[in-house]
Formats: sequence, structure tokens, C-alpha cells
Amino acid sequence: MAKKEYSFELKSSLAELDNLCQNLEDCGQKIGLSKKQIFEINLALDELFTNIISYGFKDEKEHIIKVTITPQNEELCLCIEDDGIPFNPTDFAIPDVACSVENCKIGGLGIHIIRKLMDDICYERCNDKNVLTLKKSLADNEP
Amino acid sequence: MEIIEEKQSGINIFRLNGRLDSNTSQGFEQKIFQAISDGSKNLVVDFKDLDYISSAGLRVILKATKAIKREDGRIMLCSMQDYVKEVFEIAGFDSFLPIVSTMDDALQSF
Repeated sequence: MAKKEYSFELKSSLAELDNLCQNLEDCGQKIGLSKKQIFEINLALDELFTNIISYGFKDEKEHIIKVTITPQNEELCLCIEDDGIPFNPTDFAIPDVACSVENCKIGGLGIHIIRKLMDDICYERCNDKNVLTLKKSLADNEP
Repeated sequence: MEIIEEKQSGINIFRLNGRLDSNTSQGFEQKIFQAISDGSKNLVVDFKDLDYISSAGLRVILKATKAIKREDGRIMLCSMQDYVKEVFEIAGFDSFLPIVSTMDDALQSF
């Protein structure tokens, strides 16, 4: 089977989350993903994208964030690339999530969610870009 | 995202419709904190028509829960769709937030 690749670009604004959702719906339908899988991929990429927009850029210029999705056998490979400051989300400590309302801290929750939803996360810095590759197994495909 | 606010026998109800993410959570935060500063003690958030939530949405819910507790008030979360509920579970928030199945359950708890 030929390896097909889907990619799209987002501008550095939180309003682009709607665009992310739309692109993932389209791409998910083409690949044949379940609604649950599309939801989970959307959530993981949303958390990353929001992090990049919130902390990644030190200037007011518009930047481009590139998303590439490659289905490989029983696995989906998601790659997200930005030209922000070096930032490795896998460096974050895993937060203690079982806590009370009073003690609950929200920091690091996004990366915790990504770790839970994805099977593998790999960070690289190449050519002054952050390249994060996420892998998600498609074996548990439910409708 | 659309937020419909209504009041039923002293309880402020927020019906969320659409997607609660980092782009829309600020609008919801403003509305819910306005109600708290206006003296509302009993809040219900209806998730029935909410299709999506990210950690930015969870953050607002947590912040509002802390604020309402300080005022000796209460918040109830009801009618979550499965995927949305799962996000609360992944975050571990289901263990300490009052999540109930239906609006009736939420209203009766006050």
C-alpha cells in the first residue's frame, strides 16, 4: 500500500483551533478514523498547538505551524513543526492528577493529556525548528 | 461556542454549546466569574451540547469550583457526553468534581 501523507498549515493564533478541527475531521474521514480517534487526536494536537502559541513565540510576527499526518499500517504518525523557541514538552514532569480541588495544580495538564492519549512522543530540534512526532496505535478502532 | 445562561429557583445554569478550548474558555470564564461576583452561590454547568473540551476548559471549571467553595457555594456539572467525560477522567478531575448524569440530578442536589 502506498504511504499517503496529509498535511496542513496553521497560523500562530488560537482562532486557528477551528481550522485544526476542520482539517482533522476531513483527514480523519479520508483515513477512516473513528469519531473517538478524531476527538483524541484533535485534543492532543490542540494541547500542543495551544502550548506553542502561548509560549513559543517571542515576537508579534505571524508564524506557521505545520501538521503532517501519516497512516502507517496499524499506526498513525502525527508530526507538528514550529519555528518557535526550543521547547521540549517531554521534559515536563508528570503531574500528580489524583488530588483535591484545593491542591489541584493545572500546570502540565496538557502534556499529561497528550501522554495519556498517544502511544509515543518524540522531540527533535532540527534546522531551528521544534519537531514533535506523536504515534497513536489504531488497533483499538471502535466506532 | 455559545453559552446560554438562565436562572431557576436561585440556581444559575450555564448551558454550553460547541467547543470549550483555549480560544473560547476566556468567554466562559468571564461569564461564570461574573455570576460568582454577583453573589451566585449555586451553579450548574450543563454539558449536554458540549462536543469538545481541552485542558483550558478544565482549568476554568477548576478555577470556578475553587472560587465558589470559598464563597460557601456549590457547583454541579451535568449531562456530559462520553468523550468529554473521558477528558475529565484522564485529568483525574472526576475524582473530586461533582459530575452527575442529568440536569434533574444536578438541580435536586441543592
